[in-house]
Amino acid sequence: MCINKNCLNLTGPFTMDNWLKICLVVVFAVATTGNEEASPAKLLFSKQILNKYIVEGMDIVIKYSLFNVGGTAALDVQVADNTFGPQDFDVVGGQLKVTIDRIPPGSNATHVVVIRPSKFGYFNFTAAEVTYLPSEDAAEALVGLSSEPGQGAIVPFKEYDRKFSPHLLDWLSFAVMSMPSLVLPFALWYSSKTKYEAILTQKKDK
Amino acid sequence: STCSSPSLSSTSFTTQDGTILTNIAYVSQFKLTCDGEVADIPLYAEVGGKPLSVVKSKETNSYVVSWLEETKKAPRGNFEIKVYDDEGYAAVRKAQRNGEDTSSVQPLGVVILNHPGAYNGPWINSELAAVIVAFGVLYYALTTKTKLEA
Repeated sequence: MCINKNCLNLTGPFTMDNWLKICLVVVFAVATTGNEEASPAKLLFSKQILNKYIVEGMDIVIKYSLFNVGGTAALDVQVADNTFGPQDFDVVGGQLKVTIDRIPPGSNATHVVVIRPSKFGYFNFTAAEVTYLPSEDAAEALVGLSSEPGQGAIVPFKEYDRKFSPHLLDWLSFAVMSMPSLVLPFALWYSSKTKYEAILTQKKDK
Repeated sequence: STCSSPSLSSTSFTTQDGTILTNIAYVSQFKLTCDGEVADIPLYAEVGGKPLSVVKSKETNSYVVSWLEETKKAPRGNFEIKVYDDEGYAAVRKAQRNGEDTSSVQPLGVVILNHPGAYNGPWINSELAAVIVAFGVLYYALTTKTKLEA
């Protein structure tokens, strides 16, 4: 086939038929793989403990963060943290099982829960679970796990109190106990001083 | 789906011991009723211009908002959490994009959270106070002694 003296070599394997077939194959390949913007939602989930010390009977602050790195919004995101049993921990703020309707692509969601341990000892802080639909017409929900903060020591309250409380009662009793050795000599001197001064003023008046 | 005659009821919690925490947590749990019925519509919340994630608790049929502040900088007092529905929040975002004041958009409701302040340890270490008192007594004794000897 020739167009303005530029001729396609249509002999051998390069017949018009074959060219058409090749073109169709190429177009089909591009059409199916080129559509990258609708990549399904994928959530990154982190769980952090924001405590300097973990003490029996005192607050533990847990921060859960979800970030959607996919191309579509994650729907019906259900976060459940089943690692804090009710016999060992009391939930005082927030909820351990929550649902987020929608996390748009490229955005994050955070949730804070405050709990109090009722027992001391070593505790392994393990992962929380999340289930979500990666797209609107997804057949199955995806399940993910959060990061694990690892093992932590829940310190008994007595130990924490011994280290960190101001011990005001102890200082007061120390002051009371050290009083005798200071106050007694002072009282003796003061009484003789006033008597001496009284005598002096009497003499002066005379 | 707009909410007519919305009413919010809330409970709040803030952590109050700052000595063992790196961040203070502010958590507010609230229920929304539209026309007397408990509602389940998507909500958006903002506190002090900062957007908050609103999560739902199916077990208690309520919404929870929460945020954190560093212990040293955690402000105390009343915080106004403005709750918006879909339309309201879209209006807020539009106002932000145009650089207008977002307080012109009427929120669905306002939830007040009170943080009485976190305990960050005593003002003076008790050991330091004891040393100061001891030095005070010593100073008094020494000065009186020198006065007598003079």
